[in-house]
Amino acid sequence: MIHLVTDSTADISPSDAKALGVNVVPLVVRFGDEQFRDGVDIDPDAFYAKLEHTGVHPRTSQPSPEVFAALFRTLLSDPSDHIVGLHISSKLSGTLQAARLAAQEVDAERIHLIDTESVSGGLQLLVRAALDDITAGDDAATVAAKAEQRRARVSILVLLDTLAYLHRGGRIGRAQSFVGGLLNVKPLLAVRDGEVAPIARPRSRAKGIELIVDGVRECAPLHSLAAFHAAAPAAMQELLGRLAGAAPGVTMIQGRIGPVVGAYSGPGGVGVACLASG
Amino acid sequence: MSATKPAPELSVLREPLREVGGEQVLSGLTAALSWLEANQQEINDLNVFPVPDGDTGSNMYLTLRSAVEEAGDAPAPAAVDSVLAAAAHGSLMGARGNSGVILSQILRGFAQGVAQRPRVDAGGVALALNEASAVAYRAVMKPTEGTILTVIRDAAAAAKSAAAETDDIRVVLDRVVTEAHAAVGRTIDQLQVLRDANVVDAGGFGLAVILEGFARAVAASAGPASTPQVISRPGEPALRLPPKPGDMAATGSAEPRRGAAAVAPRDQGWGYCTEFLINGPDLDVEALRTELGALGESALVVGDPALVRVHIHTGDPASVIAAASSRGRMSKLKVEDMSAQHHEVLDRADAVEAEAGAADVETADTQPRPNAKEHPAAASKAIGIVSVAPGDGFREILESLGADSIVSGGQTMNPSIEDLLIGVQTANAERVILLPNNGNVILTAEQVDPLAEGCEVRVVPTRNLPQGISALLAFDPEASIDDNCERMVAAIASVRAVEVTHAVRDSNVNGHDIKVGDVIAVVDDEITQVGNDYLEVIETVLAAQTPAPELVTVYRGEDVSADDAEALVEALHGTHQGTEFELHDGGQEHYPYVLSLE
Repeated sequence: MIHLVTDSTADISPSDAKALGVNVVPLVVRFGDEQFRDGVDIDPDAFYAKLEHTGVHPRTSQPSPEVFAALFRTLLSDPSDHIVGLHISSKLSGTLQAARLAAQEVDAERIHLIDTESVSGGLQLLVRAALDDITAGDDAATVAAKAEQRRARVSILVLLDTLAYLHRGGRIGRAQSFVGGLLNVKPLLAVRDGEVAPIARPRSRAKGIELIVDGVRECAPLHSLAAFHAAAPAAMQELLGRLAGAAPGVTMIQGRIGPVVGAYSGPGGVGVACLASG
Repeated sequence: MSATKPAPELSVLREPLREVGGEQVLSGLTAALSWLEANQQEINDLNVFPVPDGDTGSNMYLTLRSAVEEAGDAPAPAAVDSVLAAAAHGSLMGARGNSGVILSQILRGFAQGVAQRPRVDAGGVALALNEASAVAYRAVMKPTEGTILTVIRDAAAAAKSAAAETDDIRVVLDRVVTEAHAAVGRTIDQLQVLRDANVVDAGGFGLAVILEGFARAVAASAGPASTPQVISRPGEPALRLPPKPGDMAATGSAEPRRGAAAVAPRDQGWGYCTEFLINGPDLDVEALRTELGALGESALVVGDPALVRVHIHTGDPASVIAAASSRGRMSKLKVEDMSAQHHEVLDRADAVEAEAGAADVETADTQPRPNAKEHPAAASKAIGIVSVAPGDGFREILESLGADSIVSGGQTMNPSIEDLLIGVQTANAERVILLPNNGNVILTAEQVDPLAEGCEVRVVPTRNLPQGISALLAFDPEASIDDNCERMVAAIASVRAVEVTHAVRDSNVNGHDIKVGDVIAVVDDEITQVGNDYLEVIETVLAAQTPAPELVTVYRGEDVSADDAEALVEALHGTHQGTEFELHDGGQEHYPYVLSLE
């Protein structure tokens, strides 16, 4: 049997993970000395409430290689089993690196690890597509190869309320000199080549959502679509309203940006991930 | 027309003036400058719009002053072509505002018309004026009749027909002046805005004044002594501007100031053109100007505490360099023999000529130009952005959004071509996008590209600061300059600018009866509201917007306190619940509020 492993930055809710049969390795979010396993010890509601009420800026850390090793050993107890691991972009997190170390230690032959160059909804779309491949009967190497090819067809667009969290978290990359400034702008970012890249600096949320919908239209024809928000239900409703006509008949997942990704997006963010048809 | 009028008396009193040389042209230009200075305020007062903005008379005066200063340093003072080439270059660098830029093009055309001629006859004068007219028309995208363009064209036509009848330059120039004033008088019937305001065109009148000052000095420059007051001034000139022939004598312009201090003949060889930058942080620009200015001629010392650019003509470059290096770190030092520079000036003039015919800017800015200059591939910075801004607040905002260099200026003080050129050089990029942020600076900005060596300069024609900020926000450092210009032009369309000020004169515009001091709102260059207080006027403008804007950014001017501005924004917020409001300190002069509606 083929086991699919991902990490908590795919923002797959525990119930979905269970239903899909995906193994989710949690990253860790820390508020000062307190630390929580993403999606295990803390859920989005608790996280955003804490973010709002404590003055401490959260930090995150990748899972330790031991966590991966323990999971891999359990999953590979049957000698005929294989693992396909799809993880957050190696340019955004050391998670994949930890998984590789664990794989070397456990059984590199049977563990296929892929840098999805993606995160959140984009990573989740790739996980779900890989599950379909497994169901269709592909072997582990094929599932991994297809996921690797597919990652180029993923686009992520996210509209943030502020760049402050991305800035403090050091994940701003090329966006640093681009956004910011004395005016209040809602930065529109993409994940390109595994990195956060600036797209535009709309002055209002409505304008930003318009740009997101334009981006979705540009990706057509679509295989699947994901819409996500970080404690921004009103913005999410606005986005869903505008998306309605943009991608008719396309499977759409809705979800929330979880604690680890939320530590960088900050509250108020809203975004989409698209997987274009092959 | 002038051809049917009796020849002026003067010509029969004297020997015909069949040729002029460089000295006479220089005294003509000097007298033109004096006469323009004497009429500067009257020209300024012809402004149609009651808003405080760049004054035509001041812009033309500063432009011509720069021309005369450089003409005084011409390498061959006796040669007409040398004097006019220097004047053309000086006017180009000093050109401010639309009228100033067109004046610089007139001088450039005039200089082209006398190329290779150390002395010029009546036919040559006519030819040069016609070339001046042609070059000026080419410099403007959509030439409008009833402006300075019409005046130069009609004056040039008068010169041509006069030169066919006589070889006396005095007669030709007299007809030119007569026709120029007649053309100024006709402008009121050619442009609706002038008719509504019951004035003649300011730029056209300025040109007539310049031609008049020039003609009088040239007429007086040869032959037996005469009383300049007898020069007739036929034709019915400017309506609101009764000509005051007496003023001529009163200001001393009738006896042109030949060899005035600013244009003293060189007595110590040609000297060296010395240029460099001094790097701050704490430079005292005024003190530098005084100190270095004393060491040479034509000193140009401009910049800010962080970076000062110096351009000076001196016989002793070493002492200038010693003085400057004690103030800060020097860079880009260039010392050139003046005769070598003269050739460079001529080369540049050719380069400008090559670009002048460029078609519609709107498209030229956003499309690749096949005949654009070659630019080296290696980039110090891929694309730099240079923006014009009045006030420290706007300067900081633009810098925070990524502008690489800010040129001070805007509504009342229009920057010169040279100011913009220095801004472009400071940005230190292979390609620069220039944001003029003022309707009266766009034409000036468009003159910079051919002058910026090794740098491609594109102008995105932003007419106000909200447009400039929107354009800057649309900038994508990863995209090409073509894509960026396109994005910026599109961004301009998505913002509406509201500029709130006080009327500076009584007038009647767009059916609004405006009195001095009234609060007026200019929406995208049109006066749309007049009232007594800011809140009332802004409320009315906002209420008229459909759909209601999502975001209103309010920039307060330097004369508005933070408390007053906050109170205004709060009041607006109360009546416009669906709209977001944002308040910033713009620091602009004369405009208490500038609003950006998106």
